[in-house]
Amino acid sequence: MTAAVLALVAAVPCLYWTQGIDSRPTLESAGIKRLCVPPDQVEAWRKAGFNVTATSDADFSAREALPVPGTTPRPGVASPTRAPWIVASGWRFMRAPTGKYSYTVPAGKAALALAEAAAYGGDVVLKIEAADVPAAGAMLTFLDSLPTLDLPPAADFGVVDDGSAITAEAMNLLARRNLLFEIEKAPAARYRINVAIGTAAYPAQDAADPSAFAQKIRAQLTDEQRSLRIYGSEVVIARLTSDGKRARVHLINYGGREIEGLRVRVRGTYQGGDAYLAGTGKAALQDQVVADGAIEFSLPKFGAYAVVDLR
Amino acid sequence: MHRRAFVRLLAAAAASAKAAGLDVVAKGPSTRDLERSLGAGGGLEAGLQIRTDLPPLKIVSRYSPAATPGMPGPFPGRVIRVKSDRCVDTATNTANDQVVREMMAQGMRALTGAPTTADAWRRFFTPSDVVGIKVNCGGYPNCISAYEIVAETVRQLTGLGVPVSQIYIYERFQNQMDECNYAAHVPEGVQSVAAERANRNTDNSGYDPETYLEANLFGEEDTRSSMMRLVSKRLTKIINIPNIKDHGASGATGCLKNIAYGSFSNVARTHQRGKTHTYSFIGTLASMEPIRSRTVLQIMDGIRGVWHGGPFARTTKYVFYPKQIMFGTDPVAIDRLLLDIVDNERKAHGAISIWDRNPNSLKMDDTRARDANPNVNIIIREPGHVEYAASLGLGVADLAKIKVQELTV
Repeated sequence: MTAAVLALVAAVPCLYWTQGIDSRPTLESAGIKRLCVPPDQVEAWRKAGFNVTATSDADFSAREALPVPGTTPRPGVASPTRAPWIVASGWRFMRAPTGKYSYTVPAGKAALALAEAAAYGGDVVLKIEAADVPAAGAMLTFLDSLPTLDLPPAADFGVVDDGSAITAEAMNLLARRNLLFEIEKAPAARYRINVAIGTAAYPAQDAADPSAFAQKIRAQLTDEQRSLRIYGSEVVIARLTSDGKRARVHLINYGGREIEGLRVRVRGTYQGGDAYLAGTGKAALQDQVVADGAIEFSLPKFGAYAVVDLR
Repeated sequence: MHRRAFVRLLAAAAASAKAAGLDVVAKGPSTRDLERSLGAGGGLEAGLQIRTDLPPLKIVSRYSPAATPGMPGPFPGRVIRVKSDRCVDTATNTANDQVVREMMAQGMRALTGAPTTADAWRRFFTPSDVVGIKVNCGGYPNCISAYEIVAETVRQLTGLGVPVSQIYIYERFQNQMDECNYAAHVPEGVQSVAAERANRNTDNSGYDPETYLEANLFGEEDTRSSMMRLVSKRLTKIINIPNIKDHGASGATGCLKNIAYGSFSNVARTHQRGKTHTYSFIGTLASMEPIRSRTVLQIMDGIRGVWHGGPFARTTKYVFYPKQIMFGTDPVAIDRLLLDIVDNERKAHGAISIWDRNPNSLKMDDTRARDANPNVNIIIREPGHVEYAASLGLGVADLAKIKVQELTV
């Protein structure tokens, strides 16, 4: 694992807060202790006991703005329950892990944006609505409560990034389909499949329909060979990190509704583990089965984010 | 897996009259066991024309079949059809409780040959059974499993000594059960349960994650359809009470679809953009253990019916009155009759057949056009799912081999 990735794993998203020190009770009641604030307010917030980072409007604007995460209606293209259209930025964090990002999210989206940023270890500053302070505080408290476990990302194939928009959209759809890939500069011998768009094996015209292109890669990989599978939802995107002996599964629920009984399959020699559910806390894995070189389990109800540590 | 498990691969290319496409790929009951199970009751028919352009379906279940699986059960190819002009007031859509009771009594006695109605029910159930009643709420408010039939079923079960706490009326979605409110029509203590709060694909806890059918049909990420926990872990017997209804994907919906799509998760994924995989999916779900072994009685509620726009019936526009109840243990035989009932009613109204595959009839996903015009399909329908189910040994699809006994009350 690179030093940059290790550093990012520890990154925690920061709320960009421009209200004055008189808003302190609102933040304290939400359990928020860390803020990004305008430089002229740094001293006041520090004296109030907050861990703050000076962030000007210019600093915030200089960051790459990420789209609001979630699902969105796309009549004729996507179906809300069967094939929902998901807006997710995990692939952006993977493509530029040392990048600096920002979200400006409407009410109801703060927790999901925080979860997405945390799952990929992105350097993120968020601007949220005041109504979302309790939800944001709860998510930040949850993130703080997670055991430290820095593991390298797991992947089933490589994607050669030529920096093009078409490769970007392909990566978006591959991540959306929970197809685990590593972004590489050149094909890597450790992978049976190395996707390089524009080559004879992966012509650019194939990638013009990124959804069909993702299905093509999925068929080449085969579902049986995938390190991770999700059952019971079409709106959960997973990230898997592993050293072969331990694994962490990040599960980001983009659907806006709680999910109960989500089923997860992870290939490997894992014998058990613990779940950490935003809004609930630590929970046991349910209906666990270890067989055929994989562990399967279900999760109790959770909202925007769940983390599962396997051993 | 620490428990015994078996996996069957249904490779479509290998689907044949002998169901030879079944391939045992995991430990568990032997191939011979499975073939015996599939052939039980003489349900396998020669000469079935089964399509081969079907997706691979993988069955995962740790349950073994009963010596005589409930479907097709002890009466393959046998259907008792009880008719009564007095069973429903078509002006008010109200069923006649007394007439329905008599129809049920005569139907059950004729099916079993038992001298009394109680003896007829005793042929299938004992007081120790935990009995599920699979109703159909999809056609609320105009065509659902009749309260009168459900109530009489419960009355007969309790009469045999089955405690009310061991009787479960079930559907997949709680919001549909709430609408229909069967609890108001049966004794207190009868359980009304559902697997999910509503059809939103967010609540999987009511399903058994170790008993499922796996298939990638349209590139969906969730490739599993799991059996309700109630069915796999609690019930010992199931009574299937479907309605006679048109269905936009499967052509018509009766015994097979009600028990299959009404007992498994994530089934709406089988149709998308004008195409449906119901042809093989319905029968394969119904063939899975333990639902196949435990579904021992089929009571087709044909008091009312829906000839277009099904499975829904929010208006009375396409409601009709077959005024009959069919009894049997063979879901295929009853559904084969059902196809003709729905199709004949459509013909009477000048509508295209449920067998119509003309692309000109197709207005993909346009439910408004479908609801307004009975000559519009939103999906190319697959009524051949009944014949496919016969190929899996679930019953008899050949009309020449189906023996129908007709009674009138």
